[in-house]
Amino acid sequence: MNYHILNKDGLDGFIKELSKQMKVYAPVSRGHGNFAFEEVSSGAQVALKYIPTILPPKKYLMPQRETMLEFDIKGERPEDTALLEAEEIALFGVHTCDLAGIQCLNMVFSERPRDYNYLLRKEKVFIIGLECNAYCDEHASCALVGNQLPNGGYDLFFTELGERFIIHVNTQKGEDLLEGMGLPKALPADISELARAREGKKSVFKNEIGVEPGKLPEIFEKAMNSKVWEELGKRCISCGNCTNVCPTCYCFDMADTVNLDLKTGVRTRTWDSCQFETFAAVSGGENFRPERAARQRHRFYRKFKFSPDKFYRFFCTGCGRCTRTCMAKINLKETLRALAAESK
Amino acid sequence: MTKKNVSNKPKAAFFDFACCEGCQLQVANLGEALLDILGAIDVVEFREVMSEKWDKDYDVAIVEGSITDHHAEERIKKIRARSRVLIAYGACAAIGGVNGMKNSFDLDEIRRSVYGKDYKLFDSTPTRAIHQVVKVDYTVNGCPVYPPELLEVIKCALRGLAYTVPDKPVCSECKLNENVCMYERGVACLGPWTKAGCNSWCVNNGNICYGCRGLVSRPASGAAEEVIMKYNLKPELIKNKFDMYNKCGEAEAKGGK
Amino acid sequence: MTEEIKNSNWKLRKGRIIDSKQMTAAEKWFDIQLEDSALDYEPGQFVQVELFGVGEAPISICSSPTKRGSFELTVRAAGRLTKAMHALDKGAWLGIRGPFGKPFPVRLMTGNDLLFVAGGLGIAPLRSLINYVMANRREFGKVDILLGCKTPADMLFGDEIATWQKRMDINFSCTVDRSAPDWHGNVGLITSLIPGVSINPQKTFAVVVGPPVMYKFVIAELLKKGIPERQIILSLERHMKCGMGKCGHCQIDHPKNYYCCKDGPTFTYEEVKDAKKL
Repeated sequence: MNYHILNKDGLDGFIKELSKQMKVYAPVSRGHGNFAFEEVSSGAQVALKYIPTILPPKKYLMPQRETMLEFDIKGERPEDTALLEAEEIALFGVHTCDLAGIQCLNMVFSERPRDYNYLLRKEKVFIIGLECNAYCDEHASCALVGNQLPNGGYDLFFTELGERFIIHVNTQKGEDLLEGMGLPKALPADISELARAREGKKSVFKNEIGVEPGKLPEIFEKAMNSKVWEELGKRCISCGNCTNVCPTCYCFDMADTVNLDLKTGVRTRTWDSCQFETFAAVSGGENFRPERAARQRHRFYRKFKFSPDKFYRFFCTGCGRCTRTCMAKINLKETLRALAAESK
Repeated sequence: MTKKNVSNKPKAAFFDFACCEGCQLQVANLGEALLDILGAIDVVEFREVMSEKWDKDYDVAIVEGSITDHHAEERIKKIRARSRVLIAYGACAAIGGVNGMKNSFDLDEIRRSVYGKDYKLFDSTPTRAIHQVVKVDYTVNGCPVYPPELLEVIKCALRGLAYTVPDKPVCSECKLNENVCMYERGVACLGPWTKAGCNSWCVNNGNICYGCRGLVSRPASGAAEEVIMKYNLKPELIKNKFDMYNKCGEAEAKGGK
Repeated sequence: MTEEIKNSNWKLRKGRIIDSKQMTAAEKWFDIQLEDSALDYEPGQFVQVELFGVGEAPISICSSPTKRGSFELTVRAAGRLTKAMHALDKGAWLGIRGPFGKPFPVRLMTGNDLLFVAGGLGIAPLRSLINYVMANRREFGKVDILLGCKTPADMLFGDEIATWQKRMDINFSCTVDRSAPDWHGNVGLITSLIPGVSINPQKTFAVVVGPPVMYKFVIAELLKKGIPERQIILSLERHMKCGMGKCGHCQIDHPKNYYCCKDGPTFTYEEVKDAKKL
């Protein structure tokens, strides 16, 4: 295990140095208690204490709008060129819930048939995690899904210890960066202090819903006809906020756009949401998921049933964004509790 | 704009009815994109920028404004008869827009208050959107129209392809722009019930959504109660905001043509 | 640009329409040849058809792979892509991805009697299988084909069906929901044809393809006949944007994680009987 130390007053220098090498994106305040990942070039811009950003960092791995192809239909035979939009970037300050989210997306897009647009872009993203020593707010459920502690998925991982950060180095690329900046190695005493901090977290982060996570797939197995979905359906706006802000939602749409010459254009991939009215409609007129209740059920099944069956993990990272963003108060923790109560 | 020689390009004409002509201004403000469009079409009538009239049929009629009296009704019917494709653009044309506020009152009462005791000399009908009078092939919502969407629709019209107005709330786009939700700021916003497609233009610039693009096809009524409760709002406040643009749609929902 | 991106699963192969025919008011048939090499597919699979500048849509392949060189699609003008496709004829270029999806289980079906039930446009994917079975006729037992359409004018592949009716090695019947003056055949729902078919249930595979409303009633009749659930094969329709089990549009409302494009579109009834909608 390899650790380095950075004094907090050295953070500004760290960000400045890093931003000389590549664009750096970090959480910044948007006001009204909201945060977003934005480009930064100094430590002062970074919000070290932040609740999960409006959109998760998935926006850098899977852009909201991605040009996949350029085409030209001037001639008889259409010509096209595949594109990859990617540049070397660093994400700073990624919480463990969002690291888990990126790991989920990595699994999805590396499953065959692979999605190289995602996979090659991912290679260019340098990821620096940041530990939460306390809950961000009451909507988080990271302990339920085991994401209150780091489980890989980063090059470097920062943990605040008083006036210093102890940095876990997970990749050679990370080590080279820190060596290049001349950051000192951590001493055994620092590592013991980290262990104590982690021990202290055990009394802070506890299963937030009082339901054994191992029981959830079983609960969902029987929940297709639950009344809980009707309740959610009555409230749901179908705005798609819950899926847009979800670090593991990856549904997308493909579309062609032509330029004003009407002869050239692009094929783009954009985020889509299973909560939208027309998501499961076919052009013949049939809509396979017209009810809001069914769409909400589908979202929960994708987080707590399909994903453990297929990927051996929940696709809920416990970040709490869906609850925080829902204007109609659809609450993930309450929903899980209600399903659990009903299944008894 | 100088008169062009007759070419093979599609003949397009701009018309306006009851409106502020602000959407025509958006067209004039398109800048470089306008030149590109003009490369693809011949504009044969456009009152705001040219004086010529065209006496043949139109390939594309681009109509702004709502229908508010008998004369306008006759005129739009004649335009429709001469047009291969008709685009209704701007909230007034698409959903009646602010002109629809007139429909909140008894017609004679509102005529009297506007025109005085001789109000009967001034013709007036309840406000209608263009599609409530003649068939409309393409709709561009918004007050004013969102220029990128207008361009998209013109491209579709020129290629004979359908354009589908997104049937999802403005929130879906607003969230992607990472705006702090207006409700989080303690302000009521119509985004949750209004059709997207404007890239949350107003909220990006610090305004609320005023509902100018009309309601989504299945607005969430139950959710409204939840939202009003969560943010401690008055129901009348939200209803009043809707009335600003959406009065004509109400008549339609009740089965009025 | 890396080779991975150029040759990714998003790559659009170019093909040309080498023949086309308006079949009914709503449906048009296309014969398509790829410029690089023939499409390697099996009955029951689909392709994503791209019209550059218009978009992409999933379309079932209606020809049998035993027909070499080109492949055929029957397209109903329903959405943006399919309407635009109806304007195309011989010589027009298309982009093609695929084939995608799990084919009909033709190998498992050998040595069994076959009962094909097609409703409306369902005949398109089923025709791929029927022609495959015809080309390998001796591998199978008795073959019955039941076809239902709204009116006689909606019947697809009329010329071909006329030859099926004449063949000694298959039994063909069809019915229409609404008759027409020159129609002398059955009138009524397709379910009314099933009781008349003699079936050895343990040795029969029933393949049912049609609109969602048809499945419930047809399957009930087939179960009454004693055909095991896993020998009833369906082909389900869903919206598909990628064909790779990623975009999410085609997922089925079922406790198991089924993507119609990857785990289907062909399913056994046993697999999907708990689905909220077929």
